[in-house]
Amino acid sequence: MSKGRVNLKGIYKRFGNFVALKHIDLDIKPVEFFALLGPSGSGKTTTLRMLAGLEPPDEGVFAVDGEDVTYAPPGKRDIAMVFQNYALYPHMTVRDNIAFPLKMDKVPAAEIEPAVVRAAERVHIEHLLHRRPGQLSGGQQQRCALARAIVRQPKLFLLDEPLSNLDAQLRLQTRVELKKLQRSLNVTSIYVTHDQEEAMTLADRMAVFLDGEILQVGTPDEVFNRPRTIAVASFIGSPPMNLLPAKLDGRRLVVDGHVTELPFAPDHPGGDVTMGIRPSHVRIDPDGLPTRLYLSENLGESVLLNLYLGEYLVKVRVASFASAGDDETVPISFEPDAIHLFDTTSGLRIRTAQD
Amino acid sequence: MSLHRRAATRRKVVLMAVAAALLLVWVFPLIWAVIVSFKSESDVLAYPPTVFFEPIGRNYEDALFGDFSILDSLATSAIVSVSTTVLTIVLAVPAAYAFARLKLPAKKSIGFYTLATQMVPPVGLVIPYFLILNKVSMLDTYTGMIIVYLTFSLPFAIWLMVSYMEDIPFEMEEAAFLDKATRWQTLWHIIIPQVRGGIAVTVIFVFLNAWNEFLFAVQLGGNTVRPVTVAMYNFVSVEQTLWAKLSAAALIAMLPVVIIGIAAQKQIVKGLTIGAVKGGGRR
Repeated sequence: MSKGRVNLKGIYKRFGNFVALKHIDLDIKPVEFFALLGPSGSGKTTTLRMLAGLEPPDEGVFAVDGEDVTYAPPGKRDIAMVFQNYALYPHMTVRDNIAFPLKMDKVPAAEIEPAVVRAAERVHIEHLLHRRPGQLSGGQQQRCALARAIVRQPKLFLLDEPLSNLDAQLRLQTRVELKKLQRSLNVTSIYVTHDQEEAMTLADRMAVFLDGEILQVGTPDEVFNRPRTIAVASFIGSPPMNLLPAKLDGRRLVVDGHVTELPFAPDHPGGDVTMGIRPSHVRIDPDGLPTRLYLSENLGESVLLNLYLGEYLVKVRVASFASAGDDETVPISFEPDAIHLFDTTSGLRIRTAQD
Repeated sequence: MSLHRRAATRRKVVLMAVAAALLLVWVFPLIWAVIVSFKSESDVLAYPPTVFFEPIGRNYEDALFGDFSILDSLATSAIVSVSTTVLTIVLAVPAAYAFARLKLPAKKSIGFYTLATQMVPPVGLVIPYFLILNKVSMLDTYTGMIIVYLTFSLPFAIWLMVSYMEDIPFEMEEAAFLDKATRWQTLWHIIIPQVRGGIAVTVIFVFLNAWNEFLFAVQLGGNTVRPVTVAMYNFVSVEQTLWAKLSAAALIAMLPVVIIGIAAQKQIVKGLTIGAVKGGGRR
């Protein structure tokens, strides 16, 4: 089935003087699970609401399967959406909530009940059909909202932070089920989240939003391992990668006087660059750069060290660490093949042999 | 602990005493009317007032079936009040929805105007309304009276309903739109069921206001449209005032108000306090 291809071209959206979306281009493939990731206020929810038809863009074109639906009303788009607060109808039972889209779509009454039961079974709430939303737990309400969205076969399935109102444990469990559900549905799904772990685990591909712009589109692997800009690098990862000023001279990378010999030849004339390295790729090395220990955080499976290299905070993840006390000197070095390089002026990634 | 409790008890006693005193002030005329309504006309005027008397039911008989029977005017009051209430709700609910939700041009100024009509002293409107109704030959007609009542009840009802509708999250409607519901379907299936309480409150207030209205009824009505509030004045004439019959008629006229008041006590209090506690919707 190749239904549900989404194209956004040159989308702009302003709220008064505030530009919420600046030239958004997106191409989402059929049946893809696509995440819009970004901090709050970055435009991801605005984009989703635009897809739903709840917030028309000021400029640009939005097409589904080649058909321009930029200004089509929500009901004409054949889109189902799960809202962050679920938006269940409180005066209806779960059964009536799930049946509502079918009733509005003028589905014959005889077909509604079996469809409702089927949808409820998929999210395991078939025993709650007679209840009202107010009598459900948060997780059950979330499932009810899901069931209402999947009861008909929409072209597009939109999810606005559907897990953010669940407690941590339930969120992990629901995340797995959501992924399974999406695969079985065969419907293009667009998922808004500020939680990068959610985006990484759920999405086939994702778009990273910041200040109304898309910084990068790619698979979770691409975004994580080959961040396109410093901004993406400083957002992705928990904690995100360390970014340090460095000097590049051929294959020699100098950070604060410490030389790292790169295993690849960067595509760059040399000079001032920004080096990025993830906390788990920094080693404690007696011959390395001396840093001052500020704090060590025991995370259970690992220890996260907060070190100061001059004025720069460097986060280092190690398996274990026996502290001699704060302000202790910890020498570090960087794993050469895990180094990311960025042009300091443009903020863009410098291509390396790995890319 | 016990000190606290004693203080709380004392507080309660004082509050009760104040409430009882206030209640007495309010309730005294009513009690007096009840007593008078069972007296004979001569007993009413006796001085000092007769404390012990034989209660008679004739006043009620006269008020209902006598020369100045209020039965017809009770029916008139019912027609005017019920029509006003029904029309108000039918018009105010969609209007309130529009105020609460739609992006209307000049919404603010229309909203202000709606509220401003509530601030005009009714006395100032009696004569203009009289002239207008006279011009269009609608004095002493049900249509004219109901239209005039609507000019008061509609802004009030809209204003009250807007605050209820603003409390409904936007997402709920947006979900309905995505589920292919039209605006009207959304209003009918999603909004109205959730503001049933608000509609009940509005119905009660509008009905009571229409039922109790006197000033406009007396000026703009006549022999055809004579609500009970006006009809009672038949017991007052230049020569004499038939206090006992007037009291009986007043008590009969009060009955629907009292019944509704008791039945909907909770809703009324809610309606009175809604402006005080609610925060209002987004946008």
